Amino acid sequence: MALDISVAQSPDEAIIKLSGELGAGAAPQFREAVEKVAEAKPKRLVFLMGELEFMASAGLRVLIFARQKMGVSVSLYVIGSHGPVLNTLTMSGFHHSVHLQDTYTPTE
Amino acid sequence: MDNRSLPAVLDSLAEIRRYVKEAADRAGIEEARAYQLQLAVDEIATNIILHGYKDADASAVISIGSEMSDDALVITLKDQATAFDPRTMQMPEAEDLAKPLEKRKIGGLGIFLAIQGVDRFDYSRKDGSNVNVFEVRTRGD
Repeated sequence: MALDISVAQSPDEAIIKLSGELGAGAAPQFREAVEKVAEAKPKRLVFLMGELEFMASAGLRVLIFARQKMGVSVSLYVIGSHGPVLNTLTMSGFHHSVHLQDTYTPTE
Repeated sequence: MDNRSLPAVLDSLAEIRRYVKEAADRAGIEEARAYQLQLAVDEIATNIILHGYKDADASAVISIGSEMSDDALVITLKDQATAFDPRTMQMPEAEDLAKPLEKRKIGGLGIFLAIQGVDRFDYSRKDGSNVNVFEVRTRGD
């Protein structure tokens, strides 16, 4: 299954929705989407991952890239992640650095 | 299940994951552990394709096979790239995993997830091939 990406952007936030499988082959497409939304310098970057069925470390690396490219003043949200994908995020310690939420609730 | 040889390209990863899922389903492995096995095999295969075969031509292949015993499913990945034992990579420690993303190194998570995701991971170099072995017990402990 391929990766589908859709992007919505407002002045304060960028929302990237991921569906399907995020392996090493699809990661460049994801990184490109992050680079594109970063240009508008949003305050919050939101990843909707409820329909993401697989995520390899290549996907985690894009999240690290997003943080390092956009800086600590931008809040990162991962929304709807569940099951093994959520387990991969927590095993890798990402819950220390991103807001993991079932539904998007901006905290600031 | 039959062994399969696939071109050593990223487009083969989806088929590798499907192969592992089918083998795990046949072995009766529950979904979360089957996913961990898929992820483990995917991470090592990705490493072989991107690094092991970095300078290889289009004839490079990666082979996958499976064996089921009474109490375990074993998936084997073979390639003919430069010798590389994933177990020699430095694994992130708990303190590395607790670091904020802005202080993280970009790499190093793939092999960690692979080795953590199975009950046994093994590597050997045989007859010019790298042989990566992933074992998941089919009976709960």
